Amino acid sequence: MVKEIERAGIPVVHMCTVTPISMTVGANRIVPTIAIPHPLGNPALSLEEEKAIRRKLVERALEALTTEVDDQTIFEV
Amino acid sequence: MKLELGYIQIKDIQFSKECKVDNGTLYVDPDAVKAYLYEDDDVKAWVKDFGFDIAKPGESVRITPVKDVIEPRVKVEGPGGVFPGVISKVETVGSGKTHVLRGMAVVTAGKIVGFQEGIIDMSGPGAEYTPFSKLNNLVVVAEPNEGYQDHKHEYEHAVRIAGLRAATYIGELGRSVTPDETAEFETYGIKEGLEKLPNLPRVAYVHMLQSQGLLHDTYVYGVDAKRSLTTILCPTETMDGAIISGNCVSACDKNTTYHHQNNPVVANLFAAHGKTLNYVCNIITNENVYLADKQRSSDWTAKLCRLLDLDGALVSQEGFGNPDTDLIMNCKKIELQGVKTVIITDEYAGQDGKSQSLADADPLADAVVTGGNANEVIILPKMDKVIGTLDYVDVIAGGHAGSLRPDGTIEAELQVITGATNEMGFNRLSAR
Repeated sequence: MVKEIERAGIPVVHMCTVTPISMTVGANRIVPTIAIPHPLGNPALSLEEEKAIRRKLVERALEALTTEVDDQTIFEV
Repeated sequence: MKLELGYIQIKDIQFSKECKVDNGTLYVDPDAVKAYLYEDDDVKAWVKDFGFDIAKPGESVRITPVKDVIEPRVKVEGPGGVFPGVISKVETVGSGKTHVLRGMAVVTAGKIVGFQEGIIDMSGPGAEYTPFSKLNNLVVVAEPNEGYQDHKHEYEHAVRIAGLRAATYIGELGRSVTPDETAEFETYGIKEGLEKLPNLPRVAYVHMLQSQGLLHDTYVYGVDAKRSLTTILCPTETMDGAIISGNCVSACDKNTTYHHQNNPVVANLFAAHGKTLNYVCNIITNENVYLADKQRSSDWTAKLCRLLDLDGALVSQEGFGNPDTDLIMNCKKIELQGVKTVIITDEYAGQDGKSQSLADADPLADAVVTGGNANEVIILPKMDKVIGTLDYVDVIAGGHAGSLRPDGTIEAELQVITGATNEMGFNRLSAR
């Protein structure tokens, strides 16, 4: 999906946990997330802490989206 | 460490008022087994009732959903007991003597939790895809107590323990039976192995254990594999039940406890040990859902391969999807230590077999053994008898709405069959 959307001319950030697979399939902007069953949350944290993590991840993804890249890039959080 | 296995061939199972093994027949009193299962507090708390059935090779019988398959064994000499840390007390197993009731298994079945997976057909085309159709199976069907849906982990635990207890009870009946056949298995210490087999390549088995969570877990000496770091086992420890299965979802490529007890990679390495190679040890490692865990565990696998000065490693995967990354990370990192690898996996290449087989890949993974394409579609005929329930056939992994057809036949992917594309290479699916 990431590649097809980009093929249509729209930049994509792939937020995912298993970044090696994302690299293998060819995503260009990758933001690592929490865990496979809960990529954008963490049930071990309080609601306030979880919200903070979500905001951080989304803000990092938006930053990635607006960053020029010339190779596959992982935007560490 | 040296272990002798004494094989007692079981040719038939019959219900009886007494429990014994006599002349190759297992006589079993279901009430006695049930009473033994209920001696466990967790079983008592979560299982409302147990039904018992016998399924024999060639019968028109379908068992589903299948939770686990277990071979009854009993430790007759040496330290520890079967299923250490779970049924027996924690003590290192894998030496002495163990009796095996070969040709049979205990199968746990019935409504489990969440996904209801796994089909064993005792005859017809489906039977060709599962090794368990060739065994005399004592099937233990568990029925949950009310409220179990809010206590899924507790119920899964109770059924897992019940299966192991049933196998332990049956195994005990073979304690004083003279085995039909015996075989010895021995690996050496590091220095001892170098002295005894100085010119043979040093090979280990990297055994990946499914550890993604509920119904995707594996336990080693009672420890949940997802909470453990990569470590070393003597291969004979697995023969005494050191590793047990807590998983059955996408049943085609999950290792049942029977697979762990009878691991064909271990068996084949032992067959070559001292002849063409020096079988050093097993390295067990997990398949967790956090990337950091995947990185840590595969780092440790590669580190141990180097520390053991291996020449080669066989790596078997369990499951598919994100564990493909654990597999490739292990392979790549071990290769980069100068140790040759062969990986054993299966494929999800689509129903037409034309899609990419694994979710991850690397040029260093250049020696691959496959257990087959789990997306292959098969038609299973109606069976005269169902042990368990057909209620979930449409929603299991590999099934679809309408899988169970009005005439009682089933159209589904190979995924639904317990052990069909096993990644230890237990099956014989072949392109030839």
